[in-house]
Amino acid sequence: MQNLNDLQKVLIIGSGPTEIGHETELDSATVQIITRLKKQGIRTSIIDNNPFSVALEEIQPTNMYIQAVTTENVRHILEKDQPDAIIPILGGLVGIRIAQELIENGDMRRLGIRLLGMPSSTMNQVNNPAALNATLKEIHEPVIEAKIVETTDEAMGLAESIGFPLIVKPVAPRLDTNRMICENVDEMITALNQGFQQSRFDQCTLEHSVVGFKEIEMVAIRDVADTKILISGLENVDPIGIHSGDSILVAPTQTLNDREYQNLRDATFRIASELGIVGVLHLNFALNPADQRFYITKVAPYFTRGVALAARTTGYPVALVVGSLLLGQRLVDVKLPSRYVKQTAVIEPTVDHVSVRIPIWPFQQVPDADQHLDTVMKAVGSTVGLGRSVEEAMLKAVRSSQFSPRDVLPSVSNLTDGEMIRQLIHPLANRILVLIEALRRGYSPAELSELTKIDNFYFVKLQHLLEIEKQIQANPMDVATLRAGRYYGFGDGMIARIWQTDTAAIRKLSASADIMPTYKMVEPTAGEFDEDTSGYYSTFEYENESHPLGDRTALVLGRGGNQLGPNSAAEYFTTEMLKQLKRAGYHTILMNTNPNAIGIAPEFSDKQYVDPIQLGDVLNVIQVEQPDIVIVPGNRHFLARELGKLSLNLHVLPPDQETGEPLPESATIGVSLFVNGDQKVAVGVMDLIAPGMNKKLSQVTAFRMPAELPKAKRLNLVEQAKQAVSERQLTGMVQVLFAPKNAQSKQLAVVGVRPTRLTEMAFLSKVTGVNWVRMLTRQHIGTLDDAELTAVNIDLNSQRVALMNAAFPFRQLHVLNRPGSTDQEVGATIAFGSSEALTLTNLSDTAELDQIINRTI
Amino acid sequence: MAKRYLILEDGSAYAGEGFGAGATTSGEVITNLNLLGYQEIITNQIYHNQILIFSQPAIGNVGINHDSYESILPTAKGMVVRDVTNISTNRLSRLSLDEFLQQHNIPGISGIDTRHLIRKLRHMDGPVKGSIVDVADAHAFDQLNATVLTNRQVDQVATPKPYPNPDTGKNVVVIDFGLKHGILRQLSERRCNVTVLPWTASAQDVLNLDPDGVLLSTGPGSPLDLGDGVLEMIRTVQAEIPLFAIGLGHELFALANGASLRPLPVEYHGSSHPIRRIITNDIIYAAQGQGYAVDDKTIDRDRLITTYVDLINGTVQGLRHRDYPAFSVQFFTDGAPGPHESRDLFDEFMEAMTAREG
Amino acid sequence: MAKVVVDAMAMQRALTRITYEIIERNKGVDDLVILGIKTRGVYLARRIASRLQQLENVTVPVGDLDITPYRDDIEHDGNSADPEVTAANIDFSVEGKKVILVDDVLYTGRTIRAAMSAIMDLGRPKSINLAVLVDRGHRELPIRADFVGKNIPSSQHERIRVSVSEIDDRDAVEIQQA
Repeated sequence: MQNLNDLQKVLIIGSGPTEIGHETELDSATVQIITRLKKQGIRTSIIDNNPFSVALEEIQPTNMYIQAVTTENVRHILEKDQPDAIIPILGGLVGIRIAQELIENGDMRRLGIRLLGMPSSTMNQVNNPAALNATLKEIHEPVIEAKIVETTDEAMGLAESIGFPLIVKPVAPRLDTNRMICENVDEMITALNQGFQQSRFDQCTLEHSVVGFKEIEMVAIRDVADTKILISGLENVDPIGIHSGDSILVAPTQTLNDREYQNLRDATFRIASELGIVGVLHLNFALNPADQRFYITKVAPYFTRGVALAARTTGYPVALVVGSLLLGQRLVDVKLPSRYVKQTAVIEPTVDHVSVRIPIWPFQQVPDADQHLDTVMKAVGSTVGLGRSVEEAMLKAVRSSQFSPRDVLPSVSNLTDGEMIRQLIHPLANRILVLIEALRRGYSPAELSELTKIDNFYFVKLQHLLEIEKQIQANPMDVATLRAGRYYGFGDGMIARIWQTDTAAIRKLSASADIMPTYKMVEPTAGEFDEDTSGYYSTFEYENESHPLGDRTALVLGRGGNQLGPNSAAEYFTTEMLKQLKRAGYHTILMNTNPNAIGIAPEFSDKQYVDPIQLGDVLNVIQVEQPDIVIVPGNRHFLARELGKLSLNLHVLPPDQETGEPLPESATIGVSLFVNGDQKVAVGVMDLIAPGMNKKLSQVTAFRMPAELPKAKRLNLVEQAKQAVSERQLTGMVQVLFAPKNAQSKQLAVVGVRPTRLTEMAFLSKVTGVNWVRMLTRQHIGTLDDAELTAVNIDLNSQRVALMNAAFPFRQLHVLNRPGSTDQEVGATIAFGSSEALTLTNLSDTAELDQIINRTI
Repeated sequence: MAKRYLILEDGSAYAGEGFGAGATTSGEVITNLNLLGYQEIITNQIYHNQILIFSQPAIGNVGINHDSYESILPTAKGMVVRDVTNISTNRLSRLSLDEFLQQHNIPGISGIDTRHLIRKLRHMDGPVKGSIVDVADAHAFDQLNATVLTNRQVDQVATPKPYPNPDTGKNVVVIDFGLKHGILRQLSERRCNVTVLPWTASAQDVLNLDPDGVLLSTGPGSPLDLGDGVLEMIRTVQAEIPLFAIGLGHELFALANGASLRPLPVEYHGSSHPIRRIITNDIIYAAQGQGYAVDDKTIDRDRLITTYVDLINGTVQGLRHRDYPAFSVQFFTDGAPGPHESRDLFDEFMEAMTAREG
Repeated sequence: MAKVVVDAMAMQRALTRITYEIIERNKGVDDLVILGIKTRGVYLARRIASRLQQLENVTVPVGDLDITPYRDDIEHDGNSADPEVTAANIDFSVEGKKVILVDDVLYTGRTIRAAMSAIMDLGRPKSINLAVLVDRGHRELPIRADFVGKNIPSSQHERIRVSVSEIDDRDAVEIQQA
């Protein structure tokens, strides 16, 4: 057992840019763990190059290493800073791989640095199926036997004995890849070729396929004294064969009996003990519903989206507790904030609601990607629905995942029968809608279950929803029907559409019949204790537990599940805004459905509502809370317009990016100004870089500040920019766009003005050291001080150059890698350095850009 | 489904939809906080004559399975749930929950704000009576108020006659106070040759069978109802033969050795409390279901050692005799439903029997 | 091939049962001292003492008995030469105490006899009881254990290997064919 009492300095390996497989949940957990470490008086440093990281805002600049998260850079920090330990479990697979390499090459031992979260021997097994299987076999845990192969010939020899379908997995992959299912030799050869390339050891494993089994996940924590608790079981509605990140996920498990569930819990605990986990463990199982036998398919002793969902759905503060466990505290000794009942940390969570998580896919933005759901994850975000029945939770999640401004589900009724069957067997992103459509066309739950390997139970539930829908169709403006509809999760917008009326009419009818939502607390004891956690969801029952938060409240509407585009930047914006509102004395209320959102952690808002961000649901929350301020995100035009009709103190933040003003085809320089009345503070002059050949404005996805211009020229542009802004009477964070007057000229002219994009706002904050999100928030709520703004002194000619480059999901979506556009961004990286180090010889060269930004410091 | 009501003795009435049997029933209202295992719970005889409220909102999802019975003839008085699904979806299921309850004349009511009820019951003292009725009128409340909660529930559910559960291993006598099958399952897994005796068996009846060990089973109600005979039997047997007691058996074992019981302010039925195993200072979780607890202050330290304690409410969860290989636990160490990590108490029992042979 | 005959859980249970049996037999823990025979007996002795501490909130003195010359294989070879046992590391008196002698494996009994002589050299205990994790038979002296974790009838060609997590990578008892 490690002695962890003398830890003084710890380095957290950050997760780098958000991408498919990890969103902002790692940042969220990081912030909470930093809070814990700080409380213990531990100096915490972090390496990360994600410009949208909130964790970086929580750390002293001297402890911040804004560098590419690479083994070389981490080693350099370890040598220079000599921390006592590293925390690799917040960095996703990148963090794990770096820790593995530091152990393998002896750096950890040489520098006497300890590993928190698990012993080195376990670290070596993560993502190494052969080593892990050997361990699991030793403790008699069932695994699918994997054979290592180094050549295609070798694989051909084994394929017959393993049998098709079989699965190919690269050993120690460089990326978060997944198993590839092969039905025949040809597919196997293709998969092997790909796998050998991805493997750090040029090896792949072969194993028998368990496609069609149920996929169940378990999230547990363990302390140094071997106390273990199960946080939550998660059930994939889709069977093995569809990546769990692309599957509808339900918590707690719904179709397991107690014996099956406890067997998986036992296995989870045995593995946690055997691997010596001190922290968190997320396991995936393949469960054969025919004989209750199971296999362990994935072992992840680090923070994942599954861990985030388990935390959100139970209300158990996983990250806070794990922060304590990492330092060697026992679960019985973990102290939680006073809103939790004493000892909550050591009470195994049990819930009295159902959570459903539905993925969001990027196919609208990347239409050339293969839209079939398979073993490689493609989703970029997800939304969660909470309810007191599976129907209610499911329907809420569906409503949130479809991004329908009016809360109406899209129809897939135009599918031919043949297409529908094909999609049932080879599902696409509209999976859930197709399942519903099939029921609508008269397929029985049993038939569909046979076809899709989805448990019959879920079809019975969906069918029930269809029956209610029929009832709604048959009984316009009927109170009992309205009551039933709302009870099972139908939104006001949906019902209004069916009854061919508007939301207002539905709400009026509801009010007259006293059909009001009752909010229930999300807490980990199922009502056994008087917990006072801050998360709520709506249902329509007897008792309402949510009472107005009090005076001076601000309701912030989140953006829902992540999509491509400026979403992690928006998440950063929302979180920083919440912090600023709190600082300004507001009680903050967040409404969001993104389980991976940062702001949804109780640390950042006083109260959270996990409910669809749709008009009816928002109005319900407003009715309960009577907030002084309501903040609606700029991308929700319908919502903003409808809310604008009411007498609310409404603000649009993050600002609407679409102002109606025409934008230029292209621009090369952007000058950002913070405009407050007559004051115009120059925030930065940056190069707008469109990597690749296409120089359209929408292709500007890299930024350098200060722009590579003579000093005098920069100042001149600022003056021109101020002039342009004055003419247009704009306010807030404004970006004035410049471009050469013509192809031959170097002379720059104003070509357009727009609100500073969220990504650039985060970039500007990181570069200038002034948090512009907070400034903008203060401007909106009227706490911005003229004098203070005058005092802001930005060095427009800083010697230190910053570069930000967007990250795209093309590689993971297996489409041609290419310069992306702003609506395809999944994240971004940032780098600082001298102008020499960050000089770009060729602005079109994406490879060079990548190399510079990910360089070794 | 018909509209029905759950009424409570405090005068409150909750409208819901009936499922299962249409019977009108009354009984003590009990909260169960387990996440899974509704079939095991409803068939556990400790819930004899009780109406069960489930915190888990979605009930019935896996139908009725042939290997999840904790007794063949359940005698609970009702199920109160938020949402019920009446399907047989699991491969092992033969029945839906609805059909099963109809067969056993147990009514269910769904569409109830169970979370509200659970939060409310937590603050109500003593046993709370309730009824599942068709009409929540004054007559129904009169009937409810006139209902006298039964005692000596053991007589209703425990076997009146001995029966064997043969195998080839250790000879174990199980004293049946309304046992759950999980206990027999665990003994079967360990190849025990079991004879189940009625709870009225005398020490001589037990010793005549020359068992290697004796197990006192779980059961419903208050151990104080059962009289001194059983306590005398325990005192005699524990001095001769390794003894293991669970649930009601544990309470009787404590009484037999001079300790007293106290009623809990609110009964606890769940699996989420940390239980400290004192001897190794580690923490386990187990299904608990208790209305009484051994009063810590009344334990004669010269006779009994406290071996397990609930870290949340401080209740004694396990005892061991100082002089004999005789021990007991309050919680359901067989799981079914609930965690398995205390199942090795059955191994401890086996090893105690082996050790005695020398 | 080594075969695990006692796994970690079973070893925990065996020590737990031995602890309770010590309490049963001695009517409590008064005047109890525990002496472990090196190497693994010492760790087992400490575990029993820590269990007693947990249960009774009493610190029972624990001491080590050293086998010299250290020959791990003395007993396994069936070598009838008596080992020498020294009690150099015991910093409390055994006079009038109830001694619980703890070893991992009981085999010929010669180590135990030597250990008893060493204890007697230190003083006159009230009693000596023997606790062993494994009794594998093949006694050459009239010695029997009072507390046995597990009887493992074995042939003389087999080796019994006890691992304890304090110094080995895990808790286990294994049988190996010689």
